[in-house]
Amino acid sequence: MIIVNCHSPIKLDEKGVMTISKEQVSSWVRNFNPLSPGANSRWPTEAGIYEPLFIFNSITNKTVPWLGTNYTWKLNNRVLEIEIRDNVQWSDGNPFSAFDVEFTFQLKKDFPALDSRGSWKYLNSVNVIDSSLIQFEFSKLFVPGFEAIGGQPIVPKHIWKNIDDPIKFSNPLPVGTGPFTEIIKFTNQLWELGKNPYYWKKDKPKINKLRFPAFPTNEQATLAIINDEVDWAGNFIPAIDRIYVKKDTLHHKYWFPKSGGSVFLYLNTTIKPFDNSNVRKAISMAIDRELIVKVAMYNYTEPAHQTALSGGLAFWRIPENEIIENWVDYNPEKSIQILNNEGLIKNNNGHWENPDGTPINIKINIVSGWSDWIRAGQIIAKNLNEIGFNAKIITAGFGSWFSDLQTGRFSMAIAWANKGETPFPMYEGLLASKYVVPVGEVANINWQRFSNKKMDDLIIKFEENSDKVIIYNIINQMQKIFIEYAPAIPLFAEPTWGVYNTLRFKNFPSKVNPYAQISPNNIPENLFILTEVIPR
Amino acid sequence: MAITVNFFIPRLMPGDPASIMFARFQGKLKPETLIALKKTFGFTDAPIIIQFWDYIKHLAFGDLGISIAYFPQPVVEVIYSGIFWTMFLAGISLIISFMIGSFIGIFLAWFREGKMDSILLPSLSLIGAFPYFWLAMVLLYILGFKLNLFPLRHSFDQNIVSTWSFNYILSVIHHTILPAFTLIIVSLGGWVLAMRNNMISVLGTEYISFAKAMGYNNKVLMFKYAARNALLPSITGFGMALGFILTGALLTEIIFSYPGQGYLLLEAVRSQDYPLLQGLFLTITFTVLITNWIVDIFILILDPRTRK
Repeated sequence: MIIVNCHSPIKLDEKGVMTISKEQVSSWVRNFNPLSPGANSRWPTEAGIYEPLFIFNSITNKTVPWLGTNYTWKLNNRVLEIEIRDNVQWSDGNPFSAFDVEFTFQLKKDFPALDSRGSWKYLNSVNVIDSSLIQFEFSKLFVPGFEAIGGQPIVPKHIWKNIDDPIKFSNPLPVGTGPFTEIIKFTNQLWELGKNPYYWKKDKPKINKLRFPAFPTNEQATLAIINDEVDWAGNFIPAIDRIYVKKDTLHHKYWFPKSGGSVFLYLNTTIKPFDNSNVRKAISMAIDRELIVKVAMYNYTEPAHQTALSGGLAFWRIPENEIIENWVDYNPEKSIQILNNEGLIKNNNGHWENPDGTPINIKINIVSGWSDWIRAGQIIAKNLNEIGFNAKIITAGFGSWFSDLQTGRFSMAIAWANKGETPFPMYEGLLASKYVVPVGEVANINWQRFSNKKMDDLIIKFEENSDKVIIYNIINQMQKIFIEYAPAIPLFAEPTWGVYNTLRFKNFPSKVNPYAQISPNNIPENLFILTEVIPR
Repeated sequence: MAITVNFFIPRLMPGDPASIMFARFQGKLKPETLIALKKTFGFTDAPIIIQFWDYIKHLAFGDLGISIAYFPQPVVEVIYSGIFWTMFLAGISLIISFMIGSFIGIFLAWFREGKMDSILLPSLSLIGAFPYFWLAMVLLYILGFKLNLFPLRHSFDQNIVSTWSFNYILSVIHHTILPAFTLIIVSLGGWVLAMRNNMISVLGTEYISFAKAMGYNNKVLMFKYAARNALLPSITGFGMALGFILTGALLTEIIFSYPGQGYLLLEAVRSQDYPLLQGLFLTITFTVLITNWIVDIFILILDPRTRK
């Protein structure tokens, strides 16, 4: 038997075909339903096959009109009016209009399981004024609702009105407005997505076809990426300079812009002494963030800022001279000083105890297998032990780790925070009373169970206002509360993962050309890349 | 009994599938999404007995439910996508390993004072003692990545349309060689040892010594008489191993990206996908039961003593 044709090479001669590594599956499931909860549809269904009204560009901090061209708040922010783009067609040739937008939102109302953004919590009705104008009437003041409305992928009324069960509908032959809508091939190991013949952006996309081989593990994807078999990926690659860039410094590139927030160390504020904000700050000062960034995160990121804001959200930060205290710089001596001041005493083992004599046992909960966070946790445990705590990490499978986090069964844990177009979701998630539930019940966010009355008032104000100046001022005040109370401890800025290869394509966004962010994991901003990248 | 255990064990794990799916997005989803997710998967607060009865009812109609991790694909379809590849890879590897292993075992027993015995047996056992994933990764890296002799992933070349063409079959074989090879060499030692020891005890029996004294041809003796009897206990072992092929190739499938059931099982556990887990366990249970039944019949055929 002759073994020719070694391992299956990509057809490098076929121009304009971009191979992408984004999802990790062993076998593709044919689901192109953009409304499917749990986002189980194949990437880029939500933003690629279907499109939203507006896309927020997290690098330039601008809201880019997409299927919507303009929006205005009316009647004291009770009504959101959106102008819909003209001359847009669905990929089957039918015209797109505001009626499709109305239909999509009505569908979410009729089938609450599809309302993953919770839009109908604050909407009263959606009304078409004419084919290019639509109004959203709010039942309560909630200006941040624009994010969810603007980001909603729109489905075609003329097709979906005939679907009996849109929840279980897998939409095998999607009809969308996006740049790529034609399913060219679909097997369980590989599928291919071709261009939309009726796409509304003239002469775009320049990419001809998207190609998705099945990579079940990060290792398999990394092998393919190194081998020039992948053009664009959202994988985490350790020691990327040595493993990937060195192999071809001309074409192998990466860019890890920050998501806007930070990765946090959560302290359960229902347990002593973590209910004391000074103790939380002291613990924060004992952590060597530089070491964590270098050893745990391969220098892919930077230590957290005092406001926990990073990347594109950095422009919201309060001015440096208004930051009246600093508890993110490494200062273990000050740590010990504060702990002493707060009345903590050392027991016979030399470990800190509460002023009332109860012991302090610290276990840092981390997901098993998430090696970068595990390394970070090990460094934190070491730092805490160095100043006299009794700390160690414990790992658990994702399911039970998250369950413990939600039910408040932890002393410390490393986790993410909520994200959005503004810092609002993050601070709200860290400080709002409405998310606090007793230990033992499931909390969706605010797992550390901290609440602040001033914050609650600010939240209401934020939700009622669309004036940019007022909003900026409110966020400023939220930051001050965050700094004063330290509800959770920011560790390092949260990076996003974008790896790309310029062998066959050019005009990727990058540090030298930051017109957009680069990670395919950021939906719907990935639409910028899909429409702007050009084959060589 | 198996079905009952099947139902309750996945539900003993802490957490629920909706929360896990929600958490995967690490803060990008609104908290309201969790409520929507729970509605989708029909998480009722109905008492567990009602849920169990519901499950049994659907099972009777062959409806294994809808997968959570691969929503909205029905469990039957999800399992169907992988089961034949696993049976193919694990089955072929097992059969080849068994045949070669037993053959070697026969020879080693017959020539048991020879050099082959003292070299081959320990080396095969040594290879079998290596951590499997390490061995598989090293071979993949050297033979696949560095030397480009074998494909790095999948079960056939994606550029070939999947019909039963000659190219397709050749591609499937090419893609199966490396994963099958790793599976074969780690289990070879076990079969060799089993067969060799069986043979040795058979060779020690009187009827063999008698036949030797009678001047029977050695070859005939070795195969027609000794091996045939020595094979019987091995066949039982083979039968049991055959039953477990649906579980055995998990690491192989992950390392070689082979699209089988092993990875599905892993994903199902990770996502606490109850319907899929139940479906997969059911297939494993059935396979074990059926292969055991087949092996029993086979032994009836092979060994006249078991017939009445």
